[in-house]
Formats: sequence, C-alpha cells, structure tokens
Amino acid sequence: MSAVNSSAGAETAVARKKLGFGFWLCIGWLAAMVFIALFTPLLPLKSPTANFLDSSQGRPPYSPSWKHWFGTDKDARDVFARTLYGARISLTVGFSAITAGFLVGGTIGVMSGYFRGWIDRVSSFVFVVLLSFPSLVLAILLTSLIERSLLTVSLVLGLLSIAPVGRLARAATLQYSEREFVLAARQIGAKDRHIIVKEILPNVAIPMSSLALLGMAVAVVAEGGLAFLGLSVEKGITWGGLIQLGSDASKTLEKAPWISFFPILMLFLTVLSLNFAGDRLRTFFDVKEMTL
Amino acid sequence: MRYYVQRVALAILLLLAVSMLTFGALNVLGDPLFNILGPVAGDVNNPDSIKMIELAKSEFSLDRPLPVRYAIWLSDFVRGDFGVTFSSTGQPPVSGVISERLPRTVTLVAMAQLFAILVSIPWALITASRAGKISDRISTLNAFFLVAMPNFALAVILKFFFSIKLGWMPLTFVADDPLSSRLFQMILPALTIGLPVAAVYQRLLRTDIITTLQQDFILLARTKGLSRTRILLVHALRPSLFSFITVVGLNTGALIGGSIVSETVFRIPGIGSTLVESVLRNDFPVVLAIVMIVASSFVIINLLVDFAYTLIDPRVRR
Amino acid sequence: MVFTVACGGGGDDDGSTEPATSDGTDTTGGSAAPSEEGEPVVGGTLRVGLEADVDGLNPTASALAVSGLTMAQAVFDPLFTFATDGTVVPYLAESMTPSTDFTEWTLKLRAGVAFHDGTPFTVDAVIKQFEITRNDPLVGLAVRPYYPETDAVAKIDDLTMVFKPLEPSQYFPSALTAQLGYIASPTWLDALAADPTLEQQPVGTGPFQFDSRTEDSVTKFVRNEAWWGTDLVGPVYLDAIEFYPVPDADTRTELLLNGDLDIIHTTDTNQFETYREDTSLTLDISEDGEEYFLMINTAKAPFDDVRVRQALALATDRQGYYDLFNGGEGQLANQMFTPDSPYYNPDVTQEGNDPEGAAALVAEYCGENPVAEDGSALCTDGKVNMEYQWSGPSVLATRIADFYNENWSSLFNVTFDEKSQADHIQEAALGLYNVVGWRQFGAENPGDDRVWLECRNIGGISLNWPRYCSEERDALIKEIANPANPDERTGLLQQLVQNIHDSYAYIFMTHSSWAVVHTDKVHGQCDRIAPEGSPLVCSTNGRMYFHSTWLS
Repeated sequence: MSAVNSSAGAETAVARKKLGFGFWLCIGWLAAMVFIALFTPLLPLKSPTANFLDSSQGRPPYSPSWKHWFGTDKDARDVFARTLYGARISLTVGFSAITAGFLVGGTIGVMSGYFRGWIDRVSSFVFVVLLSFPSLVLAILLTSLIERSLLTVSLVLGLLSIAPVGRLARAATLQYSEREFVLAARQIGAKDRHIIVKEILPNVAIPMSSLALLGMAVAVVAEGGLAFLGLSVEKGITWGGLIQLGSDASKTLEKAPWISFFPILMLFLTVLSLNFAGDRLRTFFDVKEMTL
Repeated sequence: MRYYVQRVALAILLLLAVSMLTFGALNVLGDPLFNILGPVAGDVNNPDSIKMIELAKSEFSLDRPLPVRYAIWLSDFVRGDFGVTFSSTGQPPVSGVISERLPRTVTLVAMAQLFAILVSIPWALITASRAGKISDRISTLNAFFLVAMPNFALAVILKFFFSIKLGWMPLTFVADDPLSSRLFQMILPALTIGLPVAAVYQRLLRTDIITTLQQDFILLARTKGLSRTRILLVHALRPSLFSFITVVGLNTGALIGGSIVSETVFRIPGIGSTLVESVLRNDFPVVLAIVMIVASSFVIINLLVDFAYTLIDPRVRR
Repeated sequence: MVFTVACGGGGDDDGSTEPATSDGTDTTGGSAAPSEEGEPVVGGTLRVGLEADVDGLNPTASALAVSGLTMAQAVFDPLFTFATDGTVVPYLAESMTPSTDFTEWTLKLRAGVAFHDGTPFTVDAVIKQFEITRNDPLVGLAVRPYYPETDAVAKIDDLTMVFKPLEPSQYFPSALTAQLGYIASPTWLDALAADPTLEQQPVGTGPFQFDSRTEDSVTKFVRNEAWWGTDLVGPVYLDAIEFYPVPDADTRTELLLNGDLDIIHTTDTNQFETYREDTSLTLDISEDGEEYFLMINTAKAPFDDVRVRQALALATDRQGYYDLFNGGEGQLANQMFTPDSPYYNPDVTQEGNDPEGAAALVAEYCGENPVAEDGSALCTDGKVNMEYQWSGPSVLATRIADFYNENWSSLFNVTFDEKSQADHIQEAALGLYNVVGWRQFGAENPGDDRVWLECRNIGGISLNWPRYCSEERDALIKEIANPANPDERTGLLQQLVQNIHDSYAYIFMTHSSWAVVHTDKVHGQCDRIAPEGSPLVCSTNGRMYFHSTWLS
C-alpha cells in the first residue's frame, strides 16, 4: 500500500497548472458514487437481500439480463442492487477513516512539528510503533477483537492512517516553522496558537488536503481487503464481501463470474478515480517537496 | 558505531512495544477462556465444567495478572517457545505450526519481490528512454491501473483467467507435491502480489533514470560513442540502484500484507492465511506469534536498509 | 457443514440405513462386486474429507456426530450392526438373547479378541465401559435406560453377561450398533481418568489403530495387523487412513476434484450435479436417514410460547429453501419418516410459507408486552427478539442464514451466531440457544430415536435438545419399545409423529441427502460383510466404513 511516493514524472517537466479532462472525469465518477452511497434506499432498485427465485430460469445464479442487469448470485439476489448498496459501507468507511486520520494525525503532526520537545519524541515513537506493523496485519488484529460496526471499523482504519498522516503533517510543519515569517512572528511575541492557526495551518493544509483523495483510496482498498477476509462491518454488504462470495468456490467463479466481476469493476473504477484525481491535485499543488 | 547500537536498541524497544500492544489488545479485548473451552467456559454450575475451567486456567496461566502473564509469555517467546494453540488439548504447539508454514510465505514473498524487480527494471529502462512518447504514456496508464486494482481483486481476476479459463496454472497448492510443482503453483500468487509493486518500482525508477539521463556524463558517454544499451544499463541505472534497493526493502511490508490476501485466495497454507484463520478462531497464541514474527521481520529489514543507507552515505547518520 | 448433527450427540442409536443405497444414483464405474473392479491391492493411504473435527474420540463421553462416528468406526468395532435388509446382526459380539419378557438380555462376546494395546476383550471391559458412560453427563443420558444405577448387569463368565434394562425393550441390540456399542480398552479408559488429553488417542479393537493427530488439521490411523476380523470378515487392505476436517462444503468438493482427497461425505445437494458430471467419481446417496430441521428451545423465552414457535414456522419459506439449496435433489420433509416408510403419517404436514398467519401470531404475542426473566423485553418494535445459531465455518451455512434472515426479519429481530460444530453441540446440550439448524432422527429402528424425545433426558445437560416434555409422548415411546402386539407398532409410531408435530419444537425442512463421493482409485466401499455372512451397507447417513476399502 505505497500509493504515496515520489512525484509524477516527466509529464510535469513543463509545470502544467491545469487539472485536465481526466481529473474532472474522475471527479464525476466519484460524485456519482457519493450520490449512490447517499441515496441508494431511495433509488428504484430491487431489494439487495431478497431472493428472486424464478423457476422458469432454473437454478440460480442467473446471468445478466434485462431483469437483472448484473445478474444474480447463487441465492438469486440481484447483483446490481447489491453492488450499489456496497458503495455505502465501502465509501463511508473510506471517508470516515481518512477524515479521522487527518484530523487526529494532522493535529498531532502539526503539534509535534511546531513544539518539538517531548511531544515530538513521544508521538514520533508512537508513529514508529504503529508503522512497524504492515497495516493490513494491524487492521486484521484490531478488527477481529471488536464488535465490527460502521463506526468501529472506520475508527480502526482511521487509527492506521494516523501515523502516515501525522508524519507528513509533522514534516510539513517543520519546514514552515523554520521559515522567516514564523521566526519573525515568534520574535514579536505572537501566541503559538495564533501562529499555528494563521501561518502554519493554511500552508500545511493545502498540500495535505490534496493527499486526502489518495488517502481515501488507501482506506477504501483497506476496507475492501478486510471485507474480503470477513473482517469488515458485520452483516454489511460491502464490495470486498461481494467479491469474496463470488470467488470463494472455483465453480462459482467459473460458471458465474459476474458475481465478483461487477463489484471488482466498481471498486477498481472508484480507487482509480481517487488515485488519479489525488495525483493530479498533488501535481497541481506541486507537493513534491513534501514527500519523505 | 554508536549510531548502530542506538538503532538496534531502538529496534528492540520498538519490538517490545509492539509485543505489549498486541498482547494487551488480545487479552483485554478478547476472552481467552472462552476461546479455549467454548461454551463450557460459562457453564459454572457444572462440576465437570469447573474442573476443565481450572485446568485451562492453570495451563494457560489465566489466573495471574496481566503483566505477569506478559512476562511469562515474553520469556518463553524469546527462547523460541511460542506456546500452544488454544484448544482443549493444547495441540499442536504454535512453533510447530509456524515452522511448517513460514517457509511457504517466505518463498512467496521472495518470489513476488523477484518478479517485481525483474519486471520493473527493464520496464523502467524502456519507458525512461522513450519518455514522453506514446508508449510511455500508455505504460504510465497501465501502471496506474495496476496500482489501483486492490490485490484481492487482482488475485480473483488472475485466478479466473489463468487457472480457470486458460488452465495454464494450477488451482490449488498441494503441500505434498514435489518442490518444483509447489514453486510452479506459487507463480500466480506471487504475480498477484508482485505486479502492483512492480508498477510502483517502475514509476520510481523511471523518474530517477530520466533525471540521470539528463546529466552531463551521459552526454559525454554518447559522444564517446557508447551504445545506447550500454549507456542505459551501466551508466543510467547505477546511480538509481541505491534508492531502488531502499524502496525494495521498504516495500517488503506491503508484500507481506499482500501475501495474506494471496495465500487466502490461492489456498496456500502459509502464515498469512494462518493469521486470518487463527484470528477468526480467536486462537491468540498463534496470532501473537505471527504478528511478532511479521513485525520483527519488518523492523529488521528496515534496520538493514537503514544501515545500508548509512554505509553508502555517511551524511545520513544524524 | 451446514447444520449439526446431533445424531452423535450421545447414545447413538441411529443405525439408520436401509437396504442398500436407496434412491441414490451411482455414476458409471461404481460397482460393488470385487470381481468387476479387480483384485484388492494391499497398501496405500486413504485421504478422507470430513465435515468437522472432533474434540475427542471417547465413546463414553465425546459428542460424536457424523465425522466423529466415521473416525470412531475405524478404531472401534460396534457390538452389533445393521445388515442391508434392516436386521440387526452381531459384529464384535457373538450373540444377544432376550428373556421371554424382554427384561433380561444375555450377551455373549467373541473369544480371542484383544484391544490395540493388548488388553483382552472380556465382559469386564464392557461393564467398565457402560459404568463410565453412565456417569457421563451427556452420553450417560442415552445409556441409562439400558444400564440403570442399580442391578444393571450380571457377569456370568469372562465372555457372558446379562443386561437388565430399566424397562423391557424388544429392540435392545439396535441401540448397540453405534456409539453405545463401541467398546474401548479398559486400560485406556483408566488412563483417561488421570489424563483427559488421551481422549485424542483412542484405543479400541478396530481394523485401524491410532497413529497421530493434529487438531483441526489431520488425524491418522494405521492398519491393525492383529485385527480379529481378518479371518472372520476379511482382511484390511489400507496401510493407513488420514482424516481431514473441512467444514466448508465447497472446499471439500474442490479438494476431491483436485485429487487432494480420495473420499468425502456431504449433504450439500448443490454439488450432486457436479459429482454426476464427473465420470471418474462414484456417488452413493442415502436419503432415508436424518431430517434437517430448525430446532427450537422450548424452555427459553420467547419460544416457550407455542404461538411464537408456530409463527416462526409460518414465516419460513420452506419451498424457497428447497429451490435454492436442494436444487431438485432430495425432498421436503413433513415429519421424521419419508412418504415411502411404513410408519409415515399422511395426516401430518409441516406448516410454513404463511407470512400473514405468522404476522397475526406475532402481533398477538407482542401485544401482551412479554418480558423475560431478567426483565428485558422479548419484543422490540413489534418484532420478537431471537438468536439463530449454526455450525461452521461454512459459506453455505452463511448463505442459508442470510436466507432465513430474509424470511424472518419482518417479524423477528434476529441475531446470528456461527459456532464450530463441537461448540454448537455443547451449547445445544446446555440449552443456551433459541433456534438452531439441526439434523436428527432416522434411526433404522425408529424407537431408538427416543433418546431425543423423552422427558427424563431433560436436565442441565439435555439430549432432549428442545427440552420439550410430554407425558403422553413418553407413554407412547415406552409402548413402542415393548408393544404388546407388534402389529400395533405402526399405529403407535404414527401417533408419535403427530405428537411431535403438535409440539412445534421442530420446523421440518428436508430429508437429508447424504452423499459419499469417491474417486475411481477407491474400491471396496460396499464389500463389507458381517461375521455371520450378511452383507453390510456401504455407508450410514454419511458415516463411512473402511475395513474393506482398497486403493488402486
């Protein structure tokens, strides 16, 4: 999961301050996903849990048709409805996790970078401890021990993003707090809080926020991985869970690949959009210098 | 010298912190007695059940306070005694489970890393030398796609096309097969983890090589009449190799994470899939041992990469 | 697998099988006669896929379900067994003769038999086994009617003894065809008392003996070179058997198809078509055995109220279940007998598929604002609170749970709980459940199913899992065991079926179709005979036998 690394490459040899058509296409897709996630119960969809048994078609799974655009799974449940409903948990967890991560990690990072001293030492150590687990391992460990609701799973993934976000925020803050205008402000005796809010945060927040989309991509993939292993929200419909159900038995995958493939497509397009748009933003704000 | 000692000490401290965190989480958030005995753990009216509960408590030291249990566990762990699994008989011993399965995961991760390196280097060289052209743009897009596809989804897709539809690769891993068969069975799982990482490597390497290619000494080499291939392989690659190796080392963590998913999809009994199984079964000793092993390898590899870094560039030693 | 079996829960008297393999279809190549398959080959290790692992293989105490019984049958021999024509014939025992009033049964043991550890097989071993079994809180319940507290036996000599069951029973030997009849080494039983972990290393008289075991992974048995049956019944061909527990039915099938397993059992009817398509596999289906049903704990609120039980039945879409999960195989069940059984009661049908009726009952019940013992409300928002448990991990079982959720969620607030099969059986025995998926009944001698139905088997630990007590039922059962007029038995059994229906403690779903599937390397599954010559069944409700099996 190393989506955050060095800059985009030769195409920015001439710094192009345009976001581009691709960017807006991705934003469009994401907007559509958000719309779906918010309004699925109101949309004219079939029920995602009902069994649409149809003896004239024989035994499920039924292949895609006008009645079921994405076909049905082995229990004759409509894959199209389930895939759209899957967006709800996957996107909500992704969004909540990265928000929590940015808020908490960002705050800790800025504090450490500005105040240094013991705050910095303690938080750096904590970050390093959190980062010495491959993130999936820590996620698996924590989600297995708790009651897995939308809130708790988001919190766990949020916890995992605190360290990377915190480190970046700290680095950015470090850079800015050594600039002349900050030193000057301190000289005049301005309050720390004032400095942080007025000088540091605006400069740090802009590049950090361009990383938010990339962070959300990571969170969505992480939730998908957990769901695939059975460790996401209990009894929830998630893309990872749908993919797992459709691929667990080779026979199912062989005879009815649509059960897995449509959720895979949705997940892929969403992560792709997040990655692409996030990358574009990062280039736009020219965040090269920030990545460690 | 002091630097090395400091770093090693920090690493040990780190691992201790990791172990405390994990041990604490498992024992505080979970219910070990229930995981060992099942419903009998709550059946306090039955004298037979009470006997079993007492037996389990003494066997697994559950009646002692948490710090004491941690100390007991730690002293056993460093001596190689990982304890016994949570079953009413305590069989099999965790170290047995791990020693049987760890080699498979190590092989898988090593193969994945190998594929990633072997694929990314030529890929980076070719695209760097054609920077900006159509083929480069297409390749960048491909790399993007590869990175955007979560590894479990990639695993399903690869399994579908190569195992099921084309039948080129076997469907399952059979522990009793000869070594060559087993290695062949691991190709697809290794590719699943390795390809996305190859895309990451390629991206980095390409940028580095492009920068290097713009240096003066390359121009000098061209005027000297050296062939393009030679320039690329020998001169352009070398300065980038070092940071490449660093990234390779640092990405091992991602590979280990990926192996969990890959082993689950392709049904390879390595420590990745065992972690998932044990976690779902709440078999704490196994989970604890695997987490520690993974974290230790992670920390050690990072340490080694760090040391290698300082050997080459002493300025970094701060 | 999908639902637990309790047929092994305790005294297993379900030797359910019927002549040969009933409506099962055999794919090509599945003949039984050795001459068509060639000469048996000695050697090889058979790899068996089971639906679950066991906690231990102790006939006096372990809760043995299908998988446990399959393993047990390799290391133990039952005293008696069912022949293909349905009669009970001696196996490890030599004979069993009743007194004229059926209050005493004289058992004669076979001479010259020894356990795997060398201990001689004598009446003392049998007595010790029954003593210990009687004292077990779970299995003891099954054996007590045949081995009461006092004056249970009389030893005549080393090979002869007399049983004095609590009540007269005309069918006693049939109770000794499974777990109750597996005789274990007394030396081993003594060692067990000191070290319970030895439960994992059984010592019996069987054609195979214990070699090694890794829980939830593999259990290995090797040939018993000194098996008593070698001359009387036939030689043991296999060198060893390895049992692999694979709870997920899809995985089990995949392993068989890939050649990682040689033989498996399954009740997952969705796979039958796959098996039939593959001509290298032999498929043996038995359908006259157990039933699969939803079992309700009548001792615990809210299901202590019959209206709630009825509501659950009416809310369940049995036809939909059949369409989705049986896919044309097997048949829906109304009662514990199939329509072609002589004891079938045509007046008894299982209710279901009536959501309005269910809603009315739930509305009535919840309208009374019922409260549990601890003060918590039994209904929330007009829906009844309940928990549904099943054994796993199994993808199929999870799908079924999702299906039930669809059926019930408009009237019930359901929490779902998946447990390992061993935990599942334990919780059921302790009465810690509301509704479970379960398999039961189908004893070849239907009277032997009494152990799950009698009032006296309700207690802290209960083999009468639904904890439903009916004096009328108990009286029927006693008469069935010892009918004054054997012709009346059919009528009595039909009355029993009606009584069971009226308790609403079970929601009958399907008659279990047990399939035993093996590759073309496996032979001799159906070649077993009893010492006195009767041919024996290939498999019993998914329980497999291996002493006549050989690998090519």
